[in-house]
This record gives sequence, C-alpha cells and structure tokens, in this order.
Amino acid sequence: MTALALLGAFGTFFVAGYGLLTFLVRRETRFSLTEQIAFSWLLGTGAVSLLLWIFGLLVHGAVLPALVSIICLSLGLVGWRRMMPRPLRRMPNLLEIFLGIIVFLEIAIVFYLSFVHTLGWDGLLNWEIKAHYAFANGGVIPATYFSDSGRAFSHPEYPLAIPFTELWLYLWLGEADQFWAKTIFPIFYVIGTFLVVALGRRFTGKTWIGLLMAAFLFFVPQITVEVGSAIAGYADFPLSIFYLATIGCLFCATEPKNDAFFRLYAACLALLPWVKRDGLILWIVAAACGVFVILRTKRSSRHFLALFPGLLIICSWRFYLSAMHAPQAADFLPMNLETFSSHLDRILPLFSALLAEFHNLPTWSLFWFVVAVGVAYLLGQMRNPGTPVLLTALFVPIVLYLLIYVFSSWPNYLEHVGLSISRLLLHVAPVGFLITLLAVSRRRVKSPAPVHERGVTCTMAVSERTPVVELA
Amino acid sequence: MPVRFSYGRIAHVILWCGLALASLCVSIPKIYSGVTQNPLHSTGPLHTCDSYLKFATGASVAAKDVISIFQSTTASKRIIIFTRKDDAFSSGLGLTAAYLASPHLVRLFEINGTHPDNELSKMNPDEVAAVVFCRINRPTWLPAGKVFGSGLEVVSMSEKVRR
Repeated sequence: MTALALLGAFGTFFVAGYGLLTFLVRRETRFSLTEQIAFSWLLGTGAVSLLLWIFGLLVHGAVLPALVSIICLSLGLVGWRRMMPRPLRRMPNLLEIFLGIIVFLEIAIVFYLSFVHTLGWDGLLNWEIKAHYAFANGGVIPATYFSDSGRAFSHPEYPLAIPFTELWLYLWLGEADQFWAKTIFPIFYVIGTFLVVALGRRFTGKTWIGLLMAAFLFFVPQITVEVGSAIAGYADFPLSIFYLATIGCLFCATEPKNDAFFRLYAACLALLPWVKRDGLILWIVAAACGVFVILRTKRSSRHFLALFPGLLIICSWRFYLSAMHAPQAADFLPMNLETFSSHLDRILPLFSALLAEFHNLPTWSLFWFVVAVGVAYLLGQMRNPGTPVLLTALFVPIVLYLLIYVFSSWPNYLEHVGLSISRLLLHVAPVGFLITLLAVSRRRVKSPAPVHERGVTCTMAVSERTPVVELA
Repeated sequence: MPVRFSYGRIAHVILWCGLALASLCVSIPKIYSGVTQNPLHSTGPLHTCDSYLKFATGASVAAKDVISIFQSTTASKRIIIFTRKDDAFSSGLGLTAAYLASPHLVRLFEINGTHPDNELSKMNPDEVAAVVFCRINRPTWLPAGKVFGSGLEVVSMSEKVRR
C-alpha cells in the first residue's frame, strides 16, 4: 500500500508538472527525456504545494486532496493532448555509458544516505513540522501555529513549497511519516543531475561534459554529506536546484526568439521565493538578470510580465502572514540605512569569514577553486549576454547574503555566519557547475554548437524542427 | 575528423584533469566517511524524533509515548517546557517536546541552573496541561511524572495535581 501511495503522490507531481511544461513550451522546442522529467518535477512540486495552500484557504479534510488531484489530472490531460515532440535519439558512446553508470551509482548512494540519516535539525523543526501539523489539521496549517510564540523557533514565516510537498506525500500515505518524507530530497538530487546533464548538452553540444559535471556534483561534500546537504531534509538544496533551472533557462533564452525557455525561466523564477525565504534574494538577482536579457536581446516589453507571477507569490505570502499574525523573524535587525551604517565595522570580518568558507576543504573540497578557474575562462566572453548572466547569478547572491549578516541580531554575528554561510553558498553552487562546464568545453558562448555533435543545443532549439536537423 | 593538438589544448586538458584529480583526492575521504559512518535507523513514522530522543536520553522509540501523554491532557491548555541555558542536549529535547506537543500551545523557558521553582510558582496551574523537564530537576513538591531515559520527564497536570 505504501508503495502505491508513494506512486500516486509522485505520479501527481509529474503529471501536473508535465501538463504545465507542455503549456509553457507549446511544441516550440524539443526537450530530452531528462529535461522533461526535471522540469515536470520542479513545476509539479511548485504547483501542488501552491494549490494545497490556496485551496486550503477554502476547504479542508478529504475534499482538499481530491480537489488538488483533480486539477493535477486535468493538467496532465492538457499535457497529453499537447504532447511535446519526441527528442532526437542517438546511441550513446562508450564514454557516455561509463559516465552514466557512475552517475547512476552516485544517485543510488544518495538515496541510501538519505534513508540511513534522520531528517536534519532544521529539516524537522523548520520544514517537516509544518507538514505534520497541516496533516493533523485536515491539510491546513492551524491558525494557532502562526500565533503561538512558543513555536516561533520553527519559523512560521517560512514559505511552504517543501512542507506542502511533504504534506502531499502524507495525504496519499494516510499518515505523517518522517521516514517517507525524506524521499523527496534525493529526488531533487536526481533532478539536479538531470538538469546539469541536459543544460551541459544545450550549452556545449556535448553530452559527456554534462554527465561529467553531474558526476562531480556527488564529490562536493556540502551537496552530499554535510549539514544542510541533499539528504538532510532542508530547503537549501531544493532551492539551489530551482535556481539552477531558472538561470539555466535564462541562459538558453539569451538566444534570439527562444521564448519557450523564457517562459520556463519565468515559471522557475516565480517559485524561488516559495521554496525558502532566502529565495527572495535569488529572485531579485534572477529577475535583474531577466531584465538585462530582455533589454539586451531587444525582446518586447510584454516579457516583463515574467516577473509578475513571482511578485504575486511574494505579496500573497506576506499578506497571508500578516493576516495570520505570524511573528517577524528575530534573527535580523530592522533593515535600514541607520542600522547599516552603525554596523559597517562588520564588513571586513564578514569578508574574511567568507574567504575562510571558500577554502573550507572538508565542506567544499576544491569546488570554489575550480569555479574560480572557470570564471577566469569566461571573463574573455563578456560580450555575450549569457556570460554576464551566469557570473551575476553566481556572485551577486553571495555578496547580498554576506551583506545580510550586517543586520544580524545575534550577539556573536560571526557565529551566525558560521552556522549558515555554507548552506547559503549551496544555493549558487549548481550555477558554479554551469560555469565550469562551459570552461571545460572551451566553447565560445557566442557561437552555436555544431549540428554534427547531434546534441540538442539552445541554438538548435529554435530551428531544430527544420528538415535538416530532423535528418541529422 | 582528425583531432588537432595545440599547446593551448594540451595545457587545457592537463589543467582540468589535474583539478579533477585533486578534487577527487580531497573529497573521497570525506564522502567515504559520510557514507560509512551511519548505521540504518528505524523506519517508523516518527523515526527522526525517536532518534533525537534516543540520542539525548537513551530511551528507545519514545516519541509515541510522549505524544500519548500530551494527548491525554486538555488540548486547550498550554504545555510548559523547561530547558537549561548553555546545554545543547536540553535545548534539543525541549524543541523536540514542543514539536510533539501539537495541538497544544507551548511555552519554552530557558533557565539558568537546574531548578525551575521560581518560574513554576508564578504559573496558574489551571492554564497548564503538562510540564516537561529537559535535563532539569523536577521540584519535589510536584508529583512525579513519566520519565524517559535520563533527562526527560513529563508531568501531566491532572486535577489532583492542581489541588
């Protein structure tokens, strides 16, 4: 029964996500199977969690999951009718098969790790707690939870994408089960590897580079075994995957007339602040990059509407919190110029703490050093709009995260930094992989990958339905 | 198509192969210890709470029993939880107890030392469903509650206690 329930829960995520994907892509672009799975999962978890929250304002009990299931199936039906063109098939070479086997083994180990570890501290007390309480209250978080000062430790103000993804599993299972709740996190790891492989192929035209980078995801301890990693039940790793999808799609959207990826970018962008409060900073950065791409590629002004869904989610959640009288976060002082100027002396120690984190080998291995080399490669290609997008998406969140600590209300703000900086850096780490794979491929970002590679690239995406490419 | 070699290409390959090898050398010991150090935990619905309680008190599969005590009390009254300042185990136990206390409202008291007499004497017993002591000594005037391992005691405030 448990297996069937899990199949139902995961199936509805994918069905709803696939429906949304076909709606966004509109048969304009050919997507590989890995891309279809990855985007279906991301859009599906986002949609289901949002639907649970929105309909939870109106109904609760058995009606809520029934209503959400009906909508998911309807979306799936839409997806079935608008099914995307099949991806181009070709036989993988020996190197790709070898790397694929390595990635598969790594995924198996991540699943194993997530089952032998418990949920991490924040995974239980910040995230799963909301799913648990909502399940016990008919699918809706009790109003008393938000106003209970005794539970302020669990951050009632945190958004609900991850808790309500867990809640969806609970509703299918018929009980709140901390063990099975963990299954969603290794799936985010799988989605991360799929995205790195798929974006690697689109960026460089070579599948093996994507597979190689996906294999190296496993060897960053902060991603696999450290506190806040993909196995701990924290929202940081899922947020990093949503950010990877957002920036990857925006990079692909820098190609002229590639609107399918721009719409996917808008959808992933909207979900960033819904996954974690820090996602608001990533949303600001990714939105600024989007504005840059719109202006640089001379797209019509209607593309600015891409920012609207995210703004709607941010404002709705704020409004909901104030209506529920949720307490304000106590970790930070009021953010104003006066506080900033009175705490300016923190900036240098904060920068040295950040530098220390970059060469924290047990946590990051040589990851940041490798990314620095990759950045050096890309600096010569700044005229292409994709390069500044990638570099901004990597560096600006780091700077903004660091500046946030200027407002830390902890008596020892460096302790605050020490406890959370590695998890904040995790948000941008997958973008570091995109930079690295471009550097490894030595591909000039501006020039499209040659068709004879037979990979599906961003450039090919807009013209791939021409007979020439069909034959290739 | 013949592959063309150049010094730049060779340097590029050597650089990235070197970085990849060095990364693997640094990462593998850490990943290996992460993979091998944890035995398989229980698979129950409350397995994370059970693991935390076992780690902090030594009591096995205790979360369900803690919940059943809370559920036997009046839901409209608060659960009072005492933890010790500067004691991570006590704090962790307190937060786990607060998690398990739903749907009751909770109030956490972090005190210096191990005697909460002052704070308890100021409370109205009619508003309290249960008191939880996390590595804190129960005052002798309060009847004994259910003890879980070493360091966690839950005193249900029945009518008898209030009198």
